Amino acid sequence: MNVRSLFVFLCVLGAHAPIARAQASVEGRVELPKTTSAPVVAKRYEVVTYGGVLSTSPPLAVVYLEGSFPKPASLPTKQVAQKDLMFVPALLPIQVGTKVEFPNQEKDTYHNIFSYSPAKRFDLGRYRPDEKPVPFQIFDVAGLVTLRCDIHEHMRGLILVLATPHFAVTDDSGHFKLTGLPAGHYTLKAWIDSRTTREHPIDLKSGSTAHVDFP
Amino acid sequence: MMLVVAGLTATGLYFAQRNATSTLQQDLLRDFQADLAALHKVEELRYAALAERCRALVAKPRIHAALEDNALDLLYPSARDELRDIMQDRANPQPDQISGVPHASFYRFLDHAGKVLPPPNPAEVGVLSTDEEAQLALKELPQTAQVGYLRRGAGAAEATIDEIIALPITSTETGEVIAALVIGFKPLEVAPKGGVEDMVSGIWLNGWLHLPGLSESVRAAVDQEMNRFLAANEVERSSRMYIDGDLYLSFFKKLNSGSAYPAVYEVAVHPLRIALTRQHRLRWQILGAGAVLLLIGFIASHLIAKRLSAPVAKLAVDSEENRARRKRVEAALASKHEELQRSTRFSADASHQLKTPVTVLRAGIEELLGRENLEPAMYDELSALHHQTYRLTGVIDDLLLLSRMDAGRLKIEFGSVDLSQVVEEWLDDLNALPDPLGLDVKTHVPAGLSISGERRYASLILQNLLENARKYNRSGGRIHVAGREENGSVYLTVGNSGPAIPPEMQPYIFERFSRGANGEKIAGHGIGLNLARELARLHGGELNLVSSNNEWTEFEVRFRPAEQSTANSRRPA
Repeated sequence: MNVRSLFVFLCVLGAHAPIARAQASVEGRVELPKTTSAPVVAKRYEVVTYGGVLSTSPPLAVVYLEGSFPKPASLPTKQVAQKDLMFVPALLPIQVGTKVEFPNQEKDTYHNIFSYSPAKRFDLGRYRPDEKPVPFQIFDVAGLVTLRCDIHEHMRGLILVLATPHFAVTDDSGHFKLTGLPAGHYTLKAWIDSRTTREHPIDLKSGSTAHVDFP
Repeated sequence: MMLVVAGLTATGLYFAQRNATSTLQQDLLRDFQADLAALHKVEELRYAALAERCRALVAKPRIHAALEDNALDLLYPSARDELRDIMQDRANPQPDQISGVPHASFYRFLDHAGKVLPPPNPAEVGVLSTDEEAQLALKELPQTAQVGYLRRGAGAAEATIDEIIALPITSTETGEVIAALVIGFKPLEVAPKGGVEDMVSGIWLNGWLHLPGLSESVRAAVDQEMNRFLAANEVERSSRMYIDGDLYLSFFKKLNSGSAYPAVYEVAVHPLRIALTRQHRLRWQILGAGAVLLLIGFIASHLIAKRLSAPVAKLAVDSEENRARRKRVEAALASKHEELQRSTRFSADASHQLKTPVTVLRAGIEELLGRENLEPAMYDELSALHHQTYRLTGVIDDLLLLSRMDAGRLKIEFGSVDLSQVVEEWLDDLNALPDPLGLDVKTHVPAGLSISGERRYASLILQNLLENARKYNRSGGRIHVAGREENGSVYLTVGNSGPAIPPEMQPYIFERFSRGANGEKIAGHGIGLNLARELARLHGGELNLVSSNNEWTEFEVRFRPAEQSTANSRRPA
């Protein structure tokens, strides 16, 4: 599953989940950091660091609605696979409490995914491709989790654990759309990299679509 | 001679030991430097191996994760796993691999400011005192690996030196040095190989020389030399020191140029006393060996000379004896020769002196015979005398010939002689002579049977044999002359039917003036056979008595056959 399809999937998910409530939407564009790298044809994203800041390359942002929302009864299981010595997806936003599986999709390479991040410390140990059951973790604390592999020191992955169910990853030009939002006064935030999160107050009205641009 | 040899040897020995002395000193210096170089090489290898190992360690994702993901509490626990195999197991210490990675005795992390991050459980990472730990800190984090030395222990006696290496930990996220890992381990202690076993080396750190087992005076001298070295600000220095009359070689080298840690210096001291003692011993050994060699040489040369001179002395004696003997022999030979010469001369002179009177005598007798008024009785008497003069002439001729042969003056002019012709001629002559015995003469000589020789003398041989055969024959007897070629020789046999030569006489018949037992009755002078044999021998042949019994006496002459070419050319057509 590539990022674009994931994005579409998330958009659809966001649009249909709170179907019983009065719905509001927000759309706009996040001004993504300029990148000097050539356009990525294969649309592979990786986590890079620049000046100690983790971000994806090409840049992506996660836009989410901060607020207090009722906890859902069940959450879909997400996956961060390892393929060609990279995490796929490189950046995964999830709601707190989500179970994430880490399938090894290499041909014959072991991985040892671990994290020392304050939001979640775990160590899956070494495992083979197609290890059953697929190693997984449940992320209970909001925050940014840096995924590493003990065997492949260059591998980095990011899981952004959010307290909200309303979030979306922008496309590579920074456009986003959140639908199915409850009406009310909220703060809309845009996570751009590990050090940069922009925010914007927003009043959501039922049946209308707000427009927010993050400069 | 002995004195010259001894003097030369002594001079040679003196130069040899002087040469050995200087060579030894050079060798010692070279050994010393080679040992140091080898030690440094090992240290370099060890350092390179250690640095490589540590670089791999500081790249470990867990250590990075602990530092970068704000999980310092996990730093030492993570490092404990990663560094487990590099840390010395206190319960079960393992010997270091010289070329491999040595075991660490402790390690600490430095934070971004260069301060030591305190370990949660010092027992796991090597216990250090506060003071020692403080020595690990750096003012700022280094960009490259830094080598330093840590003095441990309080008292000078118990103090030890640990080598430390500080490796920067570069964030994979920022590319900046975010921390450092300091690993301490026991310094390399390698026993120097080769000839410099008494060399000691130590570390000079912060004005303190760590070199156990050095006497006070040497320590003071080394300190002084060290200060000189520091003042000169050199990278390394090698010098000679005289301490209490003993020579020491010393070597100083800065070990951690450019390090953020305090400068440390390697100090190596090599007392030459043992080496000099050895050299002294060597000198005496050379002298002793030389003296023994000289002695052995003298003895050996004496013995050899004696052995060599023995045959010479013997030779001298022998030659003296030989000379005397030769002189005697020469004298004898000379007298013999003289005798021979004299006899030959006598023979020749006598023959010559005899011939003339005989000729005069014959002429006188012939004149008397020519007188008319001669009585018949007188005439017969004179005729007999005349005949005797001819005999006398024959004897004289034979004697002349013999004397010539004895003097070695008779040379046979070899040519091809047809034996059958010679026999024919003599038989003709024989038939012309009066034959009172009525002899029956038969010949059996193949025509053309030729010998190698001179016709005149070959004919003389035959004449003598035929005359003998006629003279010693019986009345109505037989003479048989036969020739044959056999086994590469030509044989001519002359047989007669005269009375046998008694066996006791047979060995003497060829001697001069020897005649048969009944010889008195027969004309002759007893040199015919001797002459014939001498002539046959001069022809390269021989004359032998083949047989002599009642019926038959036979002589055989052996000649060499005529050479084919000359025989052919001289054979009448």
